[in-house]
Amino acid sequence: MSFEEFQNCARLYVIGALEPEELQDFTAARKQYGSAAEDFINQCYGLHEAFALSLKPAKASNAIKDKLMSMVRERGQGQSGSRSA
Amino acid sequence: MTSAVDLEPGAPSDVDLMLGIQSGDADALSQLYDRYNGIMRALILRIIHNETEADDLLQEVFMEIWNQAKNFSAKKGKPLGWMVTLTRRRAIDALRKKQAYARAEERLQAQPEQQPLAWVQNATENAIEAGDTRVLMAKVINSLPVAQQQVIELAFFQGMSQREIASHTNIPLGTVKTRLELGLKKIYDGLKELRDEF
Repeated sequence: MSFEEFQNCARLYVIGALEPEELQDFTAARKQYGSAAEDFINQCYGLHEAFALSLKPAKASNAIKDKLMSMVRERGQGQSGSRSA
Repeated sequence: MTSAVDLEPGAPSDVDLMLGIQSGDADALSQLYDRYNGIMRALILRIIHNETEADDLLQEVFMEIWNQAKNFSAKKGKPLGWMVTLTRRRAIDALRKKQAYARAEERLQAQPEQQPLAWVQNATENAIEAGDTRVLMAKVINSLPVAQQQVIELAFFQGMSQREIASHTNIPLGTVKTRLELGLKKIYDGLKELRDEF
């Protein structure tokens, strides 16, 4: 698989539209192209952001936030976070 | 860009907020919620078409962001991308679990074939201001031929595979693949240009 073909597959992969029979070749190419492949896949996840940003925001009511924050403060965090970023 | 939305001077970046959430700061989650609940809810609504379910799911998604923040790595991408990926997955799961899939299909079939997608409607919404990132993204997406928008809509917002799209639209599988590849490449290139401008 050429890198251009890999790029086409990567864009399908990140939106979950790669067919199972394409996945094997894609996985092999991903391994072959190493960090260049991983960098490209990470960039492709920006597509998700693009689709979301193209929508008109639909803000939730304050009651939803109040309920959320009350749950967060009651339950705490599932597991205390580590600074992996 | 430190955030996909306009921020007040001195406001924490999205990554700052994620770091805060990772260390258990509930106020950081509160700020992230204020910044992005509208985008997340719009995405959920676009997938499941039900206000009550969307509100429930929005709450669950932000709880998941709170609990799973440790899995976020800024090296791998931006917080919004991570949140949208998580939200979309949860919404598509919910869509399938509640067997709303069939109802969504009926809705799609009821739409005239050349009816522009929600993206087009959003882009012409009077409330949007020129220069907004959202308008720019909508323009990129709306510049695609309708046939490409249609397959991307089914793949991204309905979670359909290429085969499901082919079956749903009676379009040959090879054509679906080509349309998806071309459309996604154009959006990707548009997104890249947009990022380079900022």
